Amino acid sequence: MTTETKGVTAGPRALAWQRRRRSAVRFWQQYRTHRAGLAGLAGLAFFALLALTAPLTVGSDVSSVTGAPGRPMESPSGEFPLGTDQFGRNLLGLVVWGSRVSLLVGLLAAALSVAIGALVGITAGHFKGAYATVLMRITDWFLVMPTLVLAIALATVMSRSLGTVVLAIGVTSWPTTARLVRAQTLAVESRPYIERAKALGGGHWHIMSRHVLPNVMPLVLAQTTLMISSSILAEATLAFLGLGDPTVVSWGGLLQDAREAGAVSSGNWWYLVPPGIAIAVVALAFTLCGRAVESVLNPRLGVAR
Amino acid sequence: MSTPDQHGRVNARVPRLLALTGAAALTLTAGFATPLDPAPRQAAAADGDKVLTVAVAQSVDSLSPFLAARLVSTSIHRLMYEYLINYDPKDNHAVPGLATRWEPSPDKLTWTYTIRTDSKWSDGRQATAEDAAWTFNKMMTDDDAATANGSFVTNFEKVTAPSPTQLVVRLKKPQATMAALDVPIVPRHVWEKVDDFSEFNNDKSFPVVGNGPYILTDYKPDSYVRLKPNKTFWRGAPKFDELVFKYYKDGDAAVAALQKGEVSFVSNLTPAQAASLKTQDDIRVNDAPGRRFYALATNPGARARNGQKFGDGHPSLLDERVRHALFMAVDRKTVIDKVFQGHAVEGEGYIPPRFSTYFWEPSDGQTLAYDPAKAAQLLDQAGYKKNGDGKRLGKDGKPINYRILCHATDPNDKAIGQYLQEWWGELGIGVTLNCLDNVSDPWLAGTYDLAFDGWSVNPDPDFVLSIHTCAALPATPKDTGATDNFICDKQYDDLYAKQLAEYDPAKRADIVKQMESRLYDLGYMNVMAYPNAVEAYRTDQIKSITTMPEKAGNIMGQDGYWSWWSAVPADSGGSSDSSGSTGVVVGAVAGAAVLVGAGVFFALRRRATAEDRE
Repeated sequence: MTTETKGVTAGPRALAWQRRRRSAVRFWQQYRTHRAGLAGLAGLAFFALLALTAPLTVGSDVSSVTGAPGRPMESPSGEFPLGTDQFGRNLLGLVVWGSRVSLLVGLLAAALSVAIGALVGITAGHFKGAYATVLMRITDWFLVMPTLVLAIALATVMSRSLGTVVLAIGVTSWPTTARLVRAQTLAVESRPYIERAKALGGGHWHIMSRHVLPNVMPLVLAQTTLMISSSILAEATLAFLGLGDPTVVSWGGLLQDAREAGAVSSGNWWYLVPPGIAIAVVALAFTLCGRAVESVLNPRLGVAR
Repeated sequence: MSTPDQHGRVNARVPRLLALTGAAALTLTAGFATPLDPAPRQAAAADGDKVLTVAVAQSVDSLSPFLAARLVSTSIHRLMYEYLINYDPKDNHAVPGLATRWEPSPDKLTWTYTIRTDSKWSDGRQATAEDAAWTFNKMMTDDDAATANGSFVTNFEKVTAPSPTQLVVRLKKPQATMAALDVPIVPRHVWEKVDDFSEFNNDKSFPVVGNGPYILTDYKPDSYVRLKPNKTFWRGAPKFDELVFKYYKDGDAAVAALQKGEVSFVSNLTPAQAASLKTQDDIRVNDAPGRRFYALATNPGARARNGQKFGDGHPSLLDERVRHALFMAVDRKTVIDKVFQGHAVEGEGYIPPRFSTYFWEPSDGQTLAYDPAKAAQLLDQAGYKKNGDGKRLGKDGKPINYRILCHATDPNDKAIGQYLQEWWGELGIGVTLNCLDNVSDPWLAGTYDLAFDGWSVNPDPDFVLSIHTCAALPATPKDTGATDNFICDKQYDDLYAKQLAEYDPAKRADIVKQMESRLYDLGYMNVMAYPNAVEAYRTDQIKSITTMPEKAGNIMGQDGYWSWWSAVPADSGGSSDSSGSTGVVVGAVAGAAVLVGAGVFFALRRRATAEDRE
């Protein structure tokens, strides 16, 4: 897409593409200077690759209980590098396969959360007045509610499925994003060119979608990246508390299985540690990336680092 | 007496009774770290008192014998109050309790019990036949007092106490279970003052007046139950100075406490816990045949006694061939090997082999053995054919998908559910596991297709048999019946009435076996396993303890007070330091995992703009 014909005769679309490519290059050059961000990116690339290639490397058969190859709770060996679980399934395979669910739920929940947050934030910042007051009081209410308790309550009353977990995390973690986006929207809307756009007849939708959204987008992007790591942790927490779908293999679910099988007191560390470390590493990777992106996009933060 | 355990449902009202209840959130940290003990109890020898601490997971529903139905509560009532008749720890035959002799009249309708003269209430008053008569009469006249044990007195016409040592029960119809009345007898002079039996939980003034081997001295909900030995108990006072039931909502936390010597006894061990405890010094693992069955119950179309149908059980399950096909597609051997890892016996009839008098096995031609090919054939015959995608279609043309009700707190339910999903998936039948903390609402409403079920069986099987009779159905869809899963079968009911009126033990056992056979053929109850009682205790705190039956029996939840009454403290008393290096290793590993996790949290929290901390 970015193959660009050079020359002064390029149209407005080509110019826009040129501008975007330049800013992407500039972004990457600045991002490269954050070593932690690079490490996070490498971790993400690794786990993304692991999750995407899992059907080829381990296959869905790894989660089959009737076709489990080993004896229950075998310790690590040549055949099973991370041992086996309570059904005799290969734990290495399960951790790899579980990455798909954990990452998927993390991404979807974060997307949902940020989408709600951005919508609430932009409309509240744009319309102001009674509408904004009501909306922000609702936001405040969600903000002071303990997120985990609310998510547990939601996951308990709804049927056990992945969709439920995504929904439970998504609808409870959006208030921070909403407040951030609203603040940024207010800042953007006070700029003169918004007034100019209004004078030229730009309606609400035009202003919100064409002027405000592109300006809050960097903030939303950084917020999403950070939200993913907390969503993955929340997913693991809910699954660990037994609120996930028990037939789906995920990292939190593996920890829950391990706890229920008594792996903690019987010293079967290989059942607990790999999924625990996987959760920690992925959450860390997303956090590192998110902070790097944030400091690149927000010059005021960049100085401090 | 209904003593359902973690799989059971208490008079269909309090369905879920195991360890980790809804507040599982609290166990998040307990699962990883060694449990923090907010009020550390002193180890046995610390102040010279020999304390027997038992880890329990189930909450007490009520300390009133008229309301309590959970296993933990009824076990405590066995310790607090003497029952009329007890069961021998060796072979379960009826032995004297508060009554020394009991005999029916020739017309089988009047039973006379001779009450012992050496049993005193803990406030010094004599326990008499008058107390027993008052207890039964209260249950017969006050519906609130009949909540827990009402089923025992429905056939009673009149109960009188002509003298302090004589109790006379007049029956409406002959009843074979008169030597198995599992009803705690309470002191009349104390309980007379109670106004509302539905509200009174017997947990306000301590010590609670009783005449059992132990006196209840203190109770804090979901924290502890404390009992002192009854020094004047007629059979002899218990040897320990105190008995404490202490709450551990998390099984692993209880095992860690056992390893550290904070508790003397832990039950309901997982296979992995049992295997690791077996290798440790000073700990004995008791792995004995259990007294309960673990089954898959089918919804036969929920209905009430007034004939009204309700619920939404899958219509295909009304076809016996379909139920048999589902039966045949369950490999019970694998369930025993993989899920219970040998800590259970393969299920056959309704009553566990431990009760040999009533144990029944299907004959060769009758057995529904694991045979997926034949199961598929049966489904084809029944008209449930596979479509192009390999899914079987119901009569409504939609692919069959069964909802299985499972207890979110029971790992076995979830594990077997995964097997069912694959076994039945091969047949072309979809399975949705509906795991809930509280299964009672869909259960009572009949809005399920199959459900994991289980009951503890008493030496007299009357109760577990009665829950499958038509009489146990709820009166109207709005009511709660004693029924287990809405089974109502004429032939079974006739047999039930016959066994209840049969006073000859051998003949009665024969009828009970016919009932089990009928239940098996109906295919509504697939008894998959008889789980073992897997328990462990510290030998440096408990020198000896009676199991029931004496050879290969359980300790927790006995039909009697034998275990805790007979427990003898060890001489040394104190806990040793060698609590096993495994615990240390686990602690270190878990600690490391927590540290890594904490690092991430910390990184997240440092972010200045994020006010919302996950």
